[in-house]
Amino acid sequence: MTTAVASPSDERDALLDQGVTGRSTWGIVGRLLLVAAFFVVLMPFVWVILGSFKTGAQLNDPALLVFTPTLDNWREVLDSGILQAAGRSAFVGVTTVTMSVLVGSMGAYAISRYKAGGGATRFGILAAQVLPPAVLVFPFLAISFTLHVNDTLIAVIAAHLSFVLPVVTWFLIGFFDAVPRELEEQALVDGLGRFAAFRKVVLPLVAPGIGASAIFGFVLSWNDLFYALILAPGSAATLPVRIAGFNTFRGVELGAMCAAIVVSIVPVLIASFFIQRRLVRGISGGAVKY
Amino acid sequence: MSFRNRMLAPLLVLFAAAVGYPLIYSFYLSLTNYSIIHPKTTHLVGADQYVRAIHDPDYWSALRVTFIFVICSVLLELCVGMALALALQRQRWARNFTRSFLLSPMFVTPIAVGLMFRFLLNQQLGVIPTLLAKVGVTYDFFGVDRALFSLVVIDVWQWTPFMVLLLLAGLESLPRQPFEAARVDGASPFYTFRRITVPMMSSVLTVAVLIRSLDAMKVFEYVYAITRGGPGTQTQTAQYFIYQTGITFFKLGLASAMAYILLAMVMVVIVILFRSVERAKNA
Amino acid sequence: MGSTLRRRAMLAAGLSAVIGLTAACSSGTTTGTDSGSAAPSASGSVPTTVSGTVRVLMEGVPDTDVVKAMLPEFNKVYPNVNVQIESIVYDQIKDKIVASFQAPQPTYDLAIIDNPWMGDFARAGFLAPLDDRIAATPGYNYDDFAKPLRDIGTVDGKVYGVPFYNYGLGLIFRKDLYAKAGLQPPTTLDELAADAAKLNTAGTAGIAMQPQRGYKAFEEWGNYLFAAGGSIYGSDNKVHINTPEGKKALETYISMYKSSAPANSLNWAFDEALRSVSAGKSAQMVSYNWMLPTLNKSGGQSGALAGNFALSTMPGGKQVLGLWDWAIPANSKVSDADWAFVSWLTSPSGEKARVIAGGAPTRNSILTDPEVAAKGYGAEYYAAVAKILGNSAPLCSGSNCDEMITAVGTEINAAVAGQESVDDALKNAEDKANQIQAQ
Repeated sequence: MTTAVASPSDERDALLDQGVTGRSTWGIVGRLLLVAAFFVVLMPFVWVILGSFKTGAQLNDPALLVFTPTLDNWREVLDSGILQAAGRSAFVGVTTVTMSVLVGSMGAYAISRYKAGGGATRFGILAAQVLPPAVLVFPFLAISFTLHVNDTLIAVIAAHLSFVLPVVTWFLIGFFDAVPRELEEQALVDGLGRFAAFRKVVLPLVAPGIGASAIFGFVLSWNDLFYALILAPGSAATLPVRIAGFNTFRGVELGAMCAAIVVSIVPVLIASFFIQRRLVRGISGGAVKY
Repeated sequence: MSFRNRMLAPLLVLFAAAVGYPLIYSFYLSLTNYSIIHPKTTHLVGADQYVRAIHDPDYWSALRVTFIFVICSVLLELCVGMALALALQRQRWARNFTRSFLLSPMFVTPIAVGLMFRFLLNQQLGVIPTLLAKVGVTYDFFGVDRALFSLVVIDVWQWTPFMVLLLLAGLESLPRQPFEAARVDGASPFYTFRRITVPMMSSVLTVAVLIRSLDAMKVFEYVYAITRGGPGTQTQTAQYFIYQTGITFFKLGLASAMAYILLAMVMVVIVILFRSVERAKNA
Repeated sequence: MGSTLRRRAMLAAGLSAVIGLTAACSSGTTTGTDSGSAAPSASGSVPTTVSGTVRVLMEGVPDTDVVKAMLPEFNKVYPNVNVQIESIVYDQIKDKIVASFQAPQPTYDLAIIDNPWMGDFARAGFLAPLDDRIAATPGYNYDDFAKPLRDIGTVDGKVYGVPFYNYGLGLIFRKDLYAKAGLQPPTTLDELAADAAKLNTAGTAGIAMQPQRGYKAFEEWGNYLFAAGGSIYGSDNKVHINTPEGKKALETYISMYKSSAPANSLNWAFDEALRSVSAGKSAQMVSYNWMLPTLNKSGGQSGALAGNFALSTMPGGKQVLGLWDWAIPANSKVSDADWAFVSWLTSPSGEKARVIAGGAPTRNSILTDPEVAAKGYGAEYYAAVAKILGNSAPLCSGSNCDEMITAVGTEINAAVAGQESVDDALKNAEDKANQIQAQ
């Protein structure tokens, strides 16, 4: 079964039990590994950040570390509406995830508790994840024209639902499975209605898991280029579309693109600093199950 | 309506609209000769597109390339991810910062990652070949028999954090008693890892591998940004090939058929995977 | 880059006024010029009182910015035509306009068409024929456009598009390096190979090549094919590249890649080659003719090397051509307003203003106009472009061009990569190309 969230001293004991301590060779290997990982992740980011301050000529030099920075790229990028695009991406992500969580949690609860549809449901949900967007995009494009919502964020949200909703539901089924039924049964005995039991007893327990799924869903939506590029490439462009826009017919506008990438990373980095703790707790609290 | 159905209804409605509708529409398209620029001459052709797809050597080549890509990247991500998760678990200081920083590659949109690495690995313009040249190594990252592996490395850079996240969560939720017992019995770290940690993490591992594999199968942006399927067709993945067939070459009926064949194959694999894991658990 | 372009664009607007003045004074044409002496002469058969909103989807390139800057001048002649330009990434233009062509209510009233799509779109009935409009527009001088460009816009005997801007290729080389080595621009393919080999040093590659699988490989190799005396299509309108010329072209291409191209450049496309040349790490490249002014711009990407680049035709004089055309969709409800804009912009005077502002030329008269040379990029450049455009051909004409180009480009790249022999690659490329175009 699951354990409650551990305190630092518990964790230390856990590590001791797992036969690993800070002083052993494994400890040193582990630390080296982390340092190596740190640099591997850092280097491209450093290059991007430096690149955003370089001119075209300076970018041609691979190892240029000391140079006179220029703000032209930043001016160009901020003028190009990148912040608005980021806002649109965030809007699409938040809307998609909210809908998925609201609808998905109720449905996942039903599937978990009542085994609705049997094992086939879980597979069926995955089916949507397998089909390539290249094929699914056309139905969305066709219907967005019919409903006159083409080139709006509504079409993008609908398309993003097609891959966020299944993933979120899938995870939530696992989280609900991990909650013992006795708790709801107790609540029913205490006189709560079934929906109230769901809302007041079960949901709080699954909340960290919901948070984790929500963040996964948001990342999937935030990163999507394909659907957004085809369904809303113009005035309603999201952030990935804008970044892809720096890859023009006349070459990649490298400096501007670097600045755009920095714009896209920094807020997410800051947010993830605060969120990652919840993320890990959330998943472990629910004991990821399938 | 029963409570169960009331809870299910919104999900079913949204699912039908956002997932069911495109699935069915594309299935319908796969049974036609639909081409975006000849819409008026569309008619049903039955299984013709499926036959054509099955007889297309480029299609099988794309499936093979995708298969190799998925296996290599997911395996690497699993190993590196597990190692990093174990290392992160023990880390004492600057935990939050390290963890959130190491997670950051996930949050960069893949096309940006692709373009970033395209220039980072460029022989004349990139930092990495310059550093390699200092130790006398020259390597064509996107050359013959190497391009696919370079794309795997890029995928590992971006998505190992995802694995780390899941595995770390799994590790932190493990109960302590088995480990206590093992320590008392004097078990080595290897033994503990192999006989206790891994089996107890089996559901996490399955989910991690499953979700990451499904995602890796859809790899498109790296190919699009860097190699466009080359050299030859060595990095032409299924998603890129289907995109080209359906959207660049307008043959959407054929592309839909290709997608559905892929779907069928993957579902079979998933079912087999689940059955075998169930059997292993019950054994 | 942004601010220079804006300055250029303002220059364009100012110049249009001046030119319009001169043109109106010297032409004395018929309809519509009474609205003011600032009007360019080719107002055509469309009265200047025509009204409508023209939505057009364009690519985010400098030529689009030039056009946007010319809109106020256009509205002085046609005050009731509201042109709305939306610019997006290249790869999405095709999908969006195809969707618009088929919608009962079009999303775009005017379109720019890349040359590979011309055959498919015209035959699908998406575009309206323009012959009558051209004939009825006085002073338009359709024959002034370089012939290869006119051929692209003509499908099955009818004109469906008029040229917007060209992207013909040529040889861009470092004239200082050539001079130092005592070399003249090559006149045969073998000379090109020899020049590249001679200029190949440890720090500078002889030639930056772009063998990336697909479009880029074919686009570059096509020039080598022409330089070897070959052509893509035979007189039967079928692809014939499995010929002695094709073989020589591909063998030379591969040997040059191995001996004179930068190391590890099998995947190189336009960006890599451009940066290599602008950084001085390659001596020359086969690239779009309008890259020359960009490379020679002081304070631009080439840094200290600015001004050292020159443009010549490919050896033998024939090269690959690319072109964007203006086309009026068949389902456009404002086709008169469309033609008002297109004819104004692509008329001799409109083109003059556009080219002076930095746009890529398409008309022979503009290429030989001394005023354009003085205010634009110099007589030498335009003379080279005139030679390039005069003897050029696109990679593909007919149906399914995108697929055909990808298929041939895959085989070329496979040959360069050593995965296929030259003979096999040429044979496969030819067979696949013909099979695709016959679909």
